[in-house]
Amino acid sequence: MGATIARLAQRPNLWPWLLLAPLALYLAIFFLVPLADVAIMSVTEPKLSLANYERVLTGTLYQRVFFNTFLTAGLVTLACLLVGYPLAYLMNHSSQRTAMLILLLVTMSFWTSFLVRTYAWMVLLGNNGPVIGLLRAVGFETTPQLLFTRFSSTLAMVHILAPYMIMNIYSVMRKIDPVLIRSAESLGARGFSLFRHIYLPLTAPGIANGCVLVFVICLGFYVTPVLLGSPREQMIAGLIGTQIEEFLAFGMGSAMAMILLAVTLAILAIYHRRFGLDKLWG
Amino acid sequence: MRMLGVVVVIFIAAPLLIVVPMSFSSARSLQFPPPGYWLGYYQAYFTDLTWLRPTWNSIVIATATMVLTMVLVVPATFALVRHRFAGKSIADLMMLMPLAVPHIVMAVGYYSFLGEYRLVHTHIGVVLAHTCLSVPIAFLVLSANLKGFDRTLERAAQSLGASPIKTFIHVTLPILRPGLVISALFAFVQSFDETVVAIFISGRNAETLPRKMFDSIRQEADPVIAVISTLLFAAVLLALLAPAGWKGIRSRLRARTPPTAITTGR
Repeated sequence: MGATIARLAQRPNLWPWLLLAPLALYLAIFFLVPLADVAIMSVTEPKLSLANYERVLTGTLYQRVFFNTFLTAGLVTLACLLVGYPLAYLMNHSSQRTAMLILLLVTMSFWTSFLVRTYAWMVLLGNNGPVIGLLRAVGFETTPQLLFTRFSSTLAMVHILAPYMIMNIYSVMRKIDPVLIRSAESLGARGFSLFRHIYLPLTAPGIANGCVLVFVICLGFYVTPVLLGSPREQMIAGLIGTQIEEFLAFGMGSAMAMILLAVTLAILAIYHRRFGLDKLWG
Repeated sequence: MRMLGVVVVIFIAAPLLIVVPMSFSSARSLQFPPPGYWLGYYQAYFTDLTWLRPTWNSIVIATATMVLTMVLVVPATFALVRHRFAGKSIADLMMLMPLAVPHIVMAVGYYSFLGEYRLVHTHIGVVLAHTCLSVPIAFLVLSANLKGFDRTLERAAQSLGASPIKTFIHVTLPILRPGLVISALFAFVQSFDETVVAIFISGRNAETLPRKMFDSIRQEADPVIAVISTLLFAAVLLALLAPAGWKGIRSRLRARTPPTAITTGR
């Protein structure tokens, strides 16, 4: 047996297959089969038909949830961009020490569990929290309900996903040659013009990366919308969870999961054709 | 734009800073600023089995996930980085796929798949699922390291008479050690933080810490969560600062920080 393997391994083109086989087998069984299970359940539960998809795609409740999910993901992406770009700019234009400290902060935030950050927002926006306290101190008699609204879940998601945007933009902005900026300035480019003709085109790849990443993660976000959002304005992942946990409606849950998967993969496929998927997370 | 940047720094920092004083608060529910300070909730965490058991489960599951991930990923990464063969680009893409699928979709799949084999609510079930989710991250880190590996060093060793196995042990492994350590660490953290799949499949028996925290936040917002948050936060800070003090961090941060949390949580 050992001798056979050794002899097989002598042939150089078999080596990669031998090395790859265990993982390929593992992913086939424990990744592809469960995924196929979802696809199968979506058309067989409770009976063989496309009824689940029909209901998901035509029911007003489901349409609203899908619309809400896309709207939220779009809003979060835009907000992350508006938050991330100035911060990347600040890092790029401060002393090395300051830039390092900000990067440490962003990295800390990035590595801190989603749950911890979601909990922190619960404290911040709660009825006995500092934000409401500040509003009261300033003189508001009736303070708005902040927690468990679309506002709170969106804000927390922006906070949680902003590091992806910041790191992506900063990594390309850092590479901009200062000479380029100085020469643009010497030719009279100022303010918006400088941004429009130098910064924007040169940071575009980082912006694209960050936006795709944030949008895609946000589409399938479960934890934060469920904990902080309004139960009346669920996102798709939350609704899938409810279908499975509360109603044991595996068919409906699976059909929605398949649609979410299809949309996610479609976006990533477009990205892959243009840039290559390994760049997205690398 | 500078002013905006400063505001953003506060926005990023505030939630991270607020959990620390909260953990020492004597309030029974969410209240800030705290009415008083004590260590009661720390004592509660370290003596309460309903918190300690999930913590232990998470450590066991994350360790097993890390080991299994590395056993599978290390040889595969060598194959994909060092060899050219038919179907390589498909294999490359396959390695990244678990990162592309939303965790809620996998949670539905595992719930039904593991259910068929009675692995729902078991440690093994969670480890099997988490390993799939850790593979892409470990692979990305390790392949980046392996691509930068100078192969002339191996050739030099072999030209001096070292066998391929000796070369691997005495040259390849020591040089690759930092990459292996970071890659294993990422696999561990990915499993330790993973929430969505764990919520659906870990059940009472294999309940992980994130699942317990999720349930607790959803139901009553137990102040013990602030304690755990502070401890996790301290662990992250320590992990970032420990390696070689300030200098280590500087070079680490300057090299682009590789992503991890892409999957963690979701």
